[in-house]
Amino acid sequence: MTGFLARADEVLRARPAVLSGSGLRRRLVELLVLMAGCGFVYGVVMGGYGGGRWLQMLYSGLKVPLLIAATFLISLPSFFVFNTLLGLRRNFPTVLRALAATQAGLTIILASFAPLTAFWYASVGDYQAAKLFNLAMFGMASVTAQLVLKRFYRPLIAANPRHRLALRVWLVIYAFVGVQMGWVLRPFIGSPEMATRFFREGAWGNAYVEVFRAAARLISP
Amino acid sequence: MRHGFRRLDEILRGDATRMSRLHQGRIDVPIGGLSVVVTALAVIYGACMGSFSVIRTGGTEWMQVVGSAVKLPLLFFLTLVVTFPSLYVFNALVGSRLTLLSTLRLLIAMLGVILAVLASLGPIIVFFGISTTSYPFMKLLNVIVCTVSGLMGLAFLLRTLHRLVLVQDLDEAGSRADPGDGTDDAGGEDVTETGGGALDLVDGRTSQKASAVFKIWVVMFALVGAQMGWVLRPFIGSPSLPFAWFRGRESNFFVDVFDAIGRLFAGG
Repeated sequence: MTGFLARADEVLRARPAVLSGSGLRRRLVELLVLMAGCGFVYGVVMGGYGGGRWLQMLYSGLKVPLLIAATFLISLPSFFVFNTLLGLRRNFPTVLRALAATQAGLTIILASFAPLTAFWYASVGDYQAAKLFNLAMFGMASVTAQLVLKRFYRPLIAANPRHRLALRVWLVIYAFVGVQMGWVLRPFIGSPEMATRFFREGAWGNAYVEVFRAAARLISP
Repeated sequence: MRHGFRRLDEILRGDATRMSRLHQGRIDVPIGGLSVVVTALAVIYGACMGSFSVIRTGGTEWMQVVGSAVKLPLLFFLTLVVTFPSLYVFNALVGSRLTLLSTLRLLIAMLGVILAVLASLGPIIVFFGISTTSYPFMKLLNVIVCTVSGLMGLAFLLRTLHRLVLVQDLDEAGSRADPGDGTDDAGGEDVTETGGGALDLVDGRTSQKASAVFKIWVVMFALVGAQMGWVLRPFIGSPSLPFAWFRGRESNFFVDVFDAIGRLFAGG
């Protein structure tokens, strides 16, 4: 447990030890375990809305790490090619560790918000408010994880300023995929009126098309 | 195959187009090996494009995946065949000393860059293809992805053309200054190499000769490519139409893209 916390602390402070040192595979596995563990903690709390729906809590606990891992894996191939084209291939092992550590960082931050979410559920019963609160928590965690990623990238940018452009490319790809992944993997909280399911039937669709639709309704109701 | 991928990797890293390897305006790329790799990558991306149709029809329309996987390599190679003769003629008229074979090598290398980017974006296309019901969205996403990869390929082309012109000028200057033994033909090494990637601009500027050739090529390639894509459609497969290898010849690429944008704003 103390080892676990020490690792989490290392990630949050963006210690150089996370990026350097030998044993790439072992480091990545450690980060993966950290990500899955912390993501599970937040997911369980997130699914705890309304109280007592154990299955929903388990599902949400599994879905948060799934959301982050799937987004990361789908975004990675194109980012690898872009890095190669930008001439940054030599640093890619370091880049990979920085990105993996950021995924772990994101879930650590989320897990630290879990008590806040539980407190919100306990004090405000409304389902819409619960959704908005979780959206805000995810938004805040993403923005905070940017800080961690920027710290990891600082030595890389110092070595080659072109990493700044690569970082921007990553954020665009990751956000584009992540938003849709979050939409597809609903429900995370679980409407109290509906039966508990891993995936909501008929929930597949496109987050961006929904946004366009909402915008169109706003312009011409 | 593995050798071909290694050569493609060299191109992507920029190793194949370093000044020191471009001597006498020759570019060292295996046409056959690289063509196989380009075809394989095009098949992968084509299959990714067709995935939308399979999911939308409830898993019955596998033919669209096959169709797109066959047609995507065709799209790129037919565009190359159609544009290559005029590209070479313009290239010669402008006074570049690229030989016929070097021009072909350069263009195949560019296809390699474009398809590497496209294939690497394939997982994103499949993910959206599986989870999206909106056909206009998929069309626009594919147009954007193809545009991004095309721009990467063109950036590679411009940089490499510029390097080639630079190397040739240096070679010429070197042989004029030292016509005797010719041992000093390594003039290219005087130019500082940044050690950067395939998209780096050596010297920080583009020669006029390179950019003149380049402008003509861009227009040719983009227009012929877009129209070739239109002739060979469907690649994604409209959910409301049955599978067909080819569609009628009505309308054109640009009209359809504007139409898709309109539909997306009208609610997908």
